[in-house]
Amino acid sequence: MKAAIFIVGDCVISPLGMGSTLNFEKLLAGETAVAPLDDTTLAEHRIHAARIADHQWVGKIQNASKYTRLETLFILAIQNLIDTYGIPVDRRTLVILSTTKGNVSLLHNPAARFPESRVYLSEMAHEIQHYFGFENQPITISNACISGALALSVARQLLQSSDAYEHVLVVGGDEISKFIVSGFEAFQALSDGRCRPFDRDRNGLNLGEAVAAAYVTKNPTDDAVCIRAAGSFNDANHISGPSRTGEGLYRSIREAMRLAGEPVLDFISAHGTATVYNDEMEAIALHRCGLSAIPLHSLKAYYGHTLGASGLLETILGIHSLRAGELIPSLGFQYPGTSKPLNVITQPIARPMSRFLKTASGFGGCNIALIFEKV
Amino acid sequence: MDASPSYIQSYCTIRDRSIVLNGTIFLKMDIATPLADFLKSAYRQLDIDYPKFHKMDSLCKAIFIATELMARHSGPYASDTALIFSNRSSSYLSDNKHATGIFDTENQTASPATFVYTLPNIALGEISIRHQLHSENVFFIFDRYLPEFLVPYTEAALDDKQIEHAIGGWTEISEHTCDLLLYHIGKLGSIPHTVAKLKRIYNEHE
Repeated sequence: MKAAIFIVGDCVISPLGMGSTLNFEKLLAGETAVAPLDDTTLAEHRIHAARIADHQWVGKIQNASKYTRLETLFILAIQNLIDTYGIPVDRRTLVILSTTKGNVSLLHNPAARFPESRVYLSEMAHEIQHYFGFENQPITISNACISGALALSVARQLLQSSDAYEHVLVVGGDEISKFIVSGFEAFQALSDGRCRPFDRDRNGLNLGEAVAAAYVTKNPTDDAVCIRAAGSFNDANHISGPSRTGEGLYRSIREAMRLAGEPVLDFISAHGTATVYNDEMEAIALHRCGLSAIPLHSLKAYYGHTLGASGLLETILGIHSLRAGELIPSLGFQYPGTSKPLNVITQPIARPMSRFLKTASGFGGCNIALIFEKV
Repeated sequence: MDASPSYIQSYCTIRDRSIVLNGTIFLKMDIATPLADFLKSAYRQLDIDYPKFHKMDSLCKAIFIATELMARHSGPYASDTALIFSNRSSSYLSDNKHATGIFDTENQTASPATFVYTLPNIALGEISIRHQLHSENVFFIFDRYLPEFLVPYTEAALDDKQIEHAIGGWTEISEHTCDLLLYHIGKLGSIPHTVAKLKRIYNEHE
């Protein structure tokens, strides 16, 4: 019998502000971080995106000029966890970083004021390690848009299989850059307004940025949430498009449900990027799993797609929803728009809850499903 | 600690301009051969018809070739074979190409065909398609090959998922150099899946 693993603390830095409770309250109040953005360093024309304002991070850490914008945000989130939960900075503590592109904004960018070697994720990890003086080299995961959720699964497995660590800090983050904007634009994946996950009229995603951090350990607290089960499978179908049958996601959810003992779910925190094909694929996978009737949301119209942070960010807000007993509405949804129906949450509903399913899918055909349960 | 419940079914290194499968040279070319030409020659020598290969970046090509060769020895792979990969540069080659397109050229353009390769795990998607692997993928970034982490992690993953096979290793590619060691792990065989053994294999060709 493997040890149960818990999320006992968290931190969110998003355009809505710092702190997961604050972020949760703002979601329930219907606030969104997605806004029109006119910035020629990102795109020639207006995009809709969710960007962290400078006042949230500038000058907030020691020797600030030595660290890139994204490193600063990672450091702020880790510092917040250490301070809030009294986590020791010694060999019992491991940091897992999750990011798709790290400091890629520096690459070939004439405005960059750091050496290009900082683009290497191992360099970024090194900087963060030495800021705090962690004894263990951070583990960095870069596995497309499932990175954040996958990092939680990796943390769980590491804690279960080894006594080397007692505290694992899982920290996910990505920032908006011309690199990413131009790429998603080339894919014609960006929405012309605020995105509309699962809606009939959805026409693409918004990019967003956030750093989200979870404190994972074997020792539960009163309000801890257990990482109950995980499933992760590749579609083996296409490198940049979701499977038409939702095969990998279907298998991921089935595996997580089987391992958790086929529990009753109170809600589903979907990936829901609001591209035509992604949302359709998710609806098909959930239908195949017999989960179409479970209340479901996507948080992408609040935060945009925060890439390597998204799985963690959305999990943390799901945990707040679970604890508070309030379902978070899926912003941007008006008319059903998938071939298989879904029970999209359209207004805040208060009810006692025990567990939820988090899913994520990404380029390369990767998928993950995780089940979180109140202690 | 180093007693391992799993065994290396086959392993492949691609380094300098040579490809070695289970200690036997598959291809060796002059060190001055451009990496792209070398990978293309290896593909020709595989004697397969897989047009998608030509669209891939060098990271995917090298991983594709090594995975193809190991399959000839210890394949076909079970469909639940986990993929546990690592490198230092992530997808730097394609990142660099995409960044050049958007910053440095006269007509700044972003190509979807390049952008799709700006994630390291795309290579895992490519081999999943080729070998029909429906399994867990994880791509770690380290500053060097770290069997001290990968071996126990892989063993724990096999145990956790109740599966018998994994493909993993180190896949560091730059514009001119390739430092790749991949191995296929299973429950039968004679080469133990241990840190010491993998360090020996990795260092043999230095």
